[in-house]
Amino acid sequence: MESLRFLFGVILPYVAVIVFLLGMIWRFLTWKKLASPPMTLFPASTSGGSPTLNTIKESVFFSSLFKGDRLLWIIAWIFHLVLVLIILGHLRVFTNIDQLLMSLGMSEDAILAMSTGAGGAAGVIILAATVLLLVRRLAIPRVREITGFADYLALLLIGAIIITGNIMRFGPEHFDLVLTREYFADLATFRNFTDIAALQNGTFVLHMSLAFLLIMCMPFSKLLHFGGIFFTHQLIRK
Amino acid sequence: MSDTNVKEKVVNAIKAIKNGPRAGRLYMETCAKCGTCASVCPIYHGKSEKRYNPAERTDLIRRIYRKYCTITGRLFGKWAGAEDFNPEDIEEWRSIFYECTGCRRCATYCPFGIDHSVMTRKGRAILDMLGKTPDTMQKVVDISLETGNTDGANDVAFKAAIEFLEEEMEEEHGIPIKIPVDVEGADYFYVPPSGDVLVNPEATMGLAKVFHILGMADKWTMSSKCFDGANYGLFTGNDGDMKKDNELYVQEAKDLKCKTMLMGECGHAYRIMKMMMEKTGWWGELPFKVENCMEWTADRIKEGHFEFDKSKNPQPVTYHDPCNFGRSCGITEDPRVILQAACADFREMYPNRGENWCCGGGGGLSAMDDIIEFRMEVSGVKKLEQVRDTGAKYIATACSNCKRQLTQLMEHHDEEIDVGGVHDMLSRSILINGKAADRKEYV
Ligand code: SF4
Ligand code: SF4
Repeated sequence: MESLRFLFGVILPYVAVIVFLLGMIWRFLTWKKLASPPMTLFPASTSGGSPTLNTIKESVFFSSLFKGDRLLWIIAWIFHLVLVLIILGHLRVFTNIDQLLMSLGMSEDAILAMSTGAGGAAGVIILAATVLLLVRRLAIPRVREITGFADYLALLLIGAIIITGNIMRFGPEHFDLVLTREYFADLATFRNFTDIAALQNGTFVLHMSLAFLLIMCMPFSKLLHFGGIFFTHQLIRK
Repeated sequence: MSDTNVKEKVVNAIKAIKNGPRAGRLYMETCAKCGTCASVCPIYHGKSEKRYNPAERTDLIRRIYRKYCTITGRLFGKWAGAEDFNPEDIEEWRSIFYECTGCRRCATYCPFGIDHSVMTRKGRAILDMLGKTPDTMQKVVDISLETGNTDGANDVAFKAAIEFLEEEMEEEHGIPIKIPVDVEGADYFYVPPSGDVLVNPEATMGLAKVFHILGMADKWTMSSKCFDGANYGLFTGNDGDMKKDNELYVQEAKDLKCKTMLMGECGHAYRIMKMMMEKTGWWGELPFKVENCMEWTADRIKEGHFEFDKSKNPQPVTYHDPCNFGRSCGITEDPRVILQAACADFREMYPNRGENWCCGGGGGLSAMDDIIEFRMEVSGVKKLEQVRDTGAKYIATACSNCKRQLTQLMEHHDEEIDVGGVHDMLSRSILINGKAADRKEYV
């Protein structure tokens, strides 16, 4: 048991973060160095700086998709927006930012309310969005026929992460914020790799392992679209 | 060629995607499989089958790329969407890669701007490398490289056609209107698609009238060697053929010492000259600039040089944006300026401009009569709906390939709707000495 905990609780996070960082950097560098003759698609941005502006618009608002498939746009945009909010929310789990929030004028109660209220809602919304994405993938022929095992796997993995996260929030086995912060502080400072109290919580270990697995897969799977979007739109708006 | 030989060649070509250009590599690695491209593709709209799904077509190449070029593909094979190339598939590829019109509509709506026409062209390039370009297409390329034009006409035939046009214009207006040929030192060198001289010549007559009215009849010229901008190397994916064909025209422009190469109503010809040749500098610094004749005429109209008798064009007229002009070159307003000036009842088709649906004959498909059933019943279906909705009786479009496809489409579906060019409408209603043409049918 202890060695398993060590594997998933200590080794995996380090490996995942390293693989993710190196993988993404390698992707960006290789993409960048490849020749890219203009292949402008109109209406194009004409002034010098605006292909970049266009890329920002596309990555923040998914504006092409907005024109192309409104229903998917709603689901996908909410999914990604809530995902970003949830990632930001997790900062509070990794480290004590309550102090910072309080100095910005939030009361302790307000922080707690935000965490349970907004955090709880986010967990439910993103689960619903994920289910909808899956249903859509199964129900619409033009999507189903181009879907492979890896596409389902990615969705299921994300679903599992969300469900385990929600279990910890809404279930009886609520995780311990203080212990978790301690654990991440230790990981970040390369200390105390054994007898980690936070890892006694099985759901937490599962949730976290799956999340790091996802992070690790990012540069090598369809999830790479997170990086690609910053490059692909540049190609056609020069 | 033995199967192993074929396989090695194909696999190597696909492996080469890894090293650029950037678009190919990114398209191999970025696709969320969301299905948006299928819902905006004219082919998939015409028939919703897996083989017509743009993402599936690109996956034909992507699966092999994964097998040889990605870690996950090598480790997990099929589970990671990787598959080896099977030489038996080549016959299927010959059809599938010619079931995309390269219209780039997918790129407009894909959340990542993935342009499937790039992968279609890659697939065609692989076929071409194996000598497997469909015969109908290869024939056009061969004729073009041999004679300088896709109709295989020689300079004698060309000059005879020009003489005929001059006679017609003289009959129409009662005065001689010149079409100069091979004039060294003329400012403008007009490069039409050969169809606009030999098949639907009114576009060329229209432009001749424009120069005549402006008193610039001695400022422009055509060439008896280079009178067809069409370049099928773009369609077969063979860059060598495309450049060889192009070089002839650039050389002729230099020899004629023109200041402007004035491209005719031909979408892909203009795209190659303007967006590829000129923009990326295939032949270095050029002593001339590239312009389109619609831009040129529209500017003169805006300056107020002309008068029209719109009653000569009383029927409802709509404009079909050729994909290569609209999406790939951004020429959308100039043809409308001309048509609105020349026609009594101009109607938009929806959606239009950069969002217009392809006629179904793009990417060279229009020249392939062996797949006419596909063009009429699958790729052209959406266009037919769009045209019907306008109630127009004349579709103006600035592309010989669109014209051919649309003409066949209207005939096939029993619509009595004429198809022609943009300058054609100008030619019929522009006033010379206060009088519009006494027009005959030119078919
Ligand atoms: S729209 Fe773009 S991301 Fe979606 S399936 Fe098509 S190519 Fe892939
Ligand atoms: S280029 Fe046009 S025909 Fe080809 S896949 Fe894209 S939308 Fe379909």
